[in-house]
Amino acid sequence: MARRSKRRRRRGNSNLPMLLGGIGGVLLVVIVAALALKPAREGGDASRQETFSVADYRRNASLLIGNVYHIEGRVEHIESQGNDRIVAVSVPGNEQERLPLLVRSGTAGKVNLTRGDSFIFEVKCCSGHTDNQREVKGVLLVRGVESK
Amino acid sequence: MRDKMKHPSRYLILLPILCTPISAQNQEPPPPAPVPQPAAPAAQPAVAADASSPRPPQLFGMEIPLLDPASDTVSYNGGVFDVGNNAVVRARFEKYLQQNPDESSDARKYRNKLEELVRATQRNARSGKAVGGENMVKIGHGLYEMNEYPPDGGQAGALASAMASALAVQFDNRKRDRENDKLQKEIDDLVAHTNRLTNLNTGRGGRTPSASSRGNGKGKTSGGNAVNTHSVRISHNTKTIAGHEAAQVKNDAESSAALALSKVNYQSMLVSLLLSRRFDHALIGANSYRHIFRDGDTSLKLEKDSKADKLFRNAAGMPPTVNSIASAAATARREVDQHMEAVNNLLEQNKLADATQHLIEAVAIGEYMSSVSTFPAEKRRRIAEYWNLRRRVLTSINARDYGTAEEIAGRMKSLDKDFDDAMIMSYCAAKKQQSDLALRNAVKALQEGNDDDFNRFITEAGSIWPRNPKLAEGRKKLETIDSQDPVREEFKTLISRREFRTIFNEQSRFEVVAIDPELKELYRDAITLISTIDGMLEQLDVAAQQDKVMGPCMAYEMLLEKKAEDERYASDPLFMDALNRYALAGRDFVEALEQAAEAEKRDEPGAALACYYRAQCFYPGSRLAKEGAERVSQLILRAQF
Repeated sequence: MARRSKRRRRRGNSNLPMLLGGIGGVLLVVIVAALALKPAREGGDASRQETFSVADYRRNASLLIGNVYHIEGRVEHIESQGNDRIVAVSVPGNEQERLPLLVRSGTAGKVNLTRGDSFIFEVKCCSGHTDNQREVKGVLLVRGVESK
Repeated sequence: MRDKMKHPSRYLILLPILCTPISAQNQEPPPPAPVPQPAAPAAQPAVAADASSPRPPQLFGMEIPLLDPASDTVSYNGGVFDVGNNAVVRARFEKYLQQNPDESSDARKYRNKLEELVRATQRNARSGKAVGGENMVKIGHGLYEMNEYPPDGGQAGALASAMASALAVQFDNRKRDRENDKLQKEIDDLVAHTNRLTNLNTGRGGRTPSASSRGNGKGKTSGGNAVNTHSVRISHNTKTIAGHEAAQVKNDAESSAALALSKVNYQSMLVSLLLSRRFDHALIGANSYRHIFRDGDTSLKLEKDSKADKLFRNAAGMPPTVNSIASAAATARREVDQHMEAVNNLLEQNKLADATQHLIEAVAIGEYMSSVSTFPAEKRRRIAEYWNLRRRVLTSINARDYGTAEEIAGRMKSLDKDFDDAMIMSYCAAKKQQSDLALRNAVKALQEGNDDDFNRFITEAGSIWPRNPKLAEGRKKLETIDSQDPVREEFKTLISRREFRTIFNEQSRFEVVAIDPELKELYRDAITLISTIDGMLEQLDVAAQQDKVMGPCMAYEMLLEKKAEDERYASDPLFMDALNRYALAGRDFVEALEQAAEAEKRDEPGAALACYYRAQCFYPGSRLAKEGAERVSQLILRAQF
């Protein structure tokens, strides 16, 4: 108790107001920077949607984790496993690209995904893991589909 | 061979001097050295001493050549000589073939005279009339005329001299006979005179001693002493008679000795003529014999039951007499004439082999016969050509040059369609196969590294067929092997450095290392690898040229797969050049595959799948892209988010 008293006495005595102001400033800067650098992590609503770049996705998908995109594309190929599907869609203006989208069972609703048809997919870049705990990063998981 | 068996004279042991010319005066034949010919085939018996066979009989200290018709060989001085392949016979026969027939006037005159004398002696012999002095003189003159012809070799002169000597002995004997007759008459007179004197002494005679001594003054005066006087005369007469009788015995002994010696000399002359193949001369001498020696004794002076004695008995079927010589000479003449007739007939049929065989026998038996010596030059040339081939084929076989032997046998076959070359060909083929087999074993021993067996087999192959062309090839290989050690070391270095392309480019130089079974596999693998790479690059180049978009992608992927399968591919510079070239040409495809691989490493299967999809856009048939896409798709589908 004696030691605490001494400290309080020192703070109170010397630079206590300046110290508190500095700490508050630093915290403010940190909060602002964090908000600026990681906007998607706290996304989930329509206000955080980004423009999707296939090239960026191929180069480093981990950077896009958490982002939600509305991607328009034509179904080129469908690979199924049970009720889950991987749909390869071509993005307009870039025919040499195929974007793989994971469509879980029931995600598409009443929309029937057929090859050659174009749809608007609402996707979220997610991370997960396999049964043997292998990490799986940057998979575009379809959250909703609309016919175009 | 069957033809030869038909000729009765083949069995004549007196078939003369095939190997050595024997002059009438000098009967010391140079012993012919048998020539060993170890490699001669069974069909052509080699000339070799045959110690196991019994020695031939001897006549007058000379061994008599015996012709074996079954093998065409002659036994002489302990050796067995192939008539067709003996150096002496061959030389004489070749000399004969190269001579031109002597058709000069002297030769014709000589032959005519010879024939005339033969006919004259035969006629006189047949007639049974005693040959008078005139006939003998004619024969003698004829022989001396023939003696002036050089090719006669003085044989006729020698025979004439023998005849003259024999006749001279006969004349001496007749002189001694006359002398003996005279002595006998004197003996008879002395015996009669002695008898008379004896009677006077004993008084038993018709005349008294006084009467008998009337004319003798001594008898008158001495009276009773007359007996003693006669006794002296009787004694003298008796001594004289004894001396005469001794002279007679001496003359008889001298005549008998001279006659026997003369017969031996004359018979020796006849045998010499027979042995030196002067059958005409022998026949003339033999036919004249009984007219020279008129005692009727024609027996040859041979030791009883000696080999020669049996020889004549068995050969001619009669006791050994001068007639045996005449028979042998006449038969030989006929034999030679038949041979020459056969030669002419066979030549007309172009059967050179048989014609040559008959001619060589005719020449061997009766070289001096007119039928032989007048044989035309053109026919001699034909036979000489064939004879040379025959000699060369035998020489080739003896020299174990079977390739040449087969070639010559083929030429002989072309000259004479009836020539049987089967035995030569079979023999040569068998020897060649033996040599090849030994060579094969040598190669096998070399491959197994067995030097002892290699040396043994290579020696065997060379000794069987020294001119085997495969031996030359083998020699080259051996020379290469001798120099292979540095090459082998270089090869091993290249293998360790994986410089297969260098081995491939200099494969002719490195081929020798394949002799080593250890390196053989490495050599073969290196050559196969580079050949495969070259073939593959060639095909890929064509495909890349045909499709400039997908072609390089396909080529790149294939090379990449090969590189993954076998790391030796990466060591070939051409392969790596091609891989880089195709990677550059299909860089988007390559980049997509590389990005996919990196994304998988980052555990980003979605990005990897996007890359694989992109790669498939450039090359839809890409196996790498398909397999990668399937792999990451399964990962995504199984994941939980």
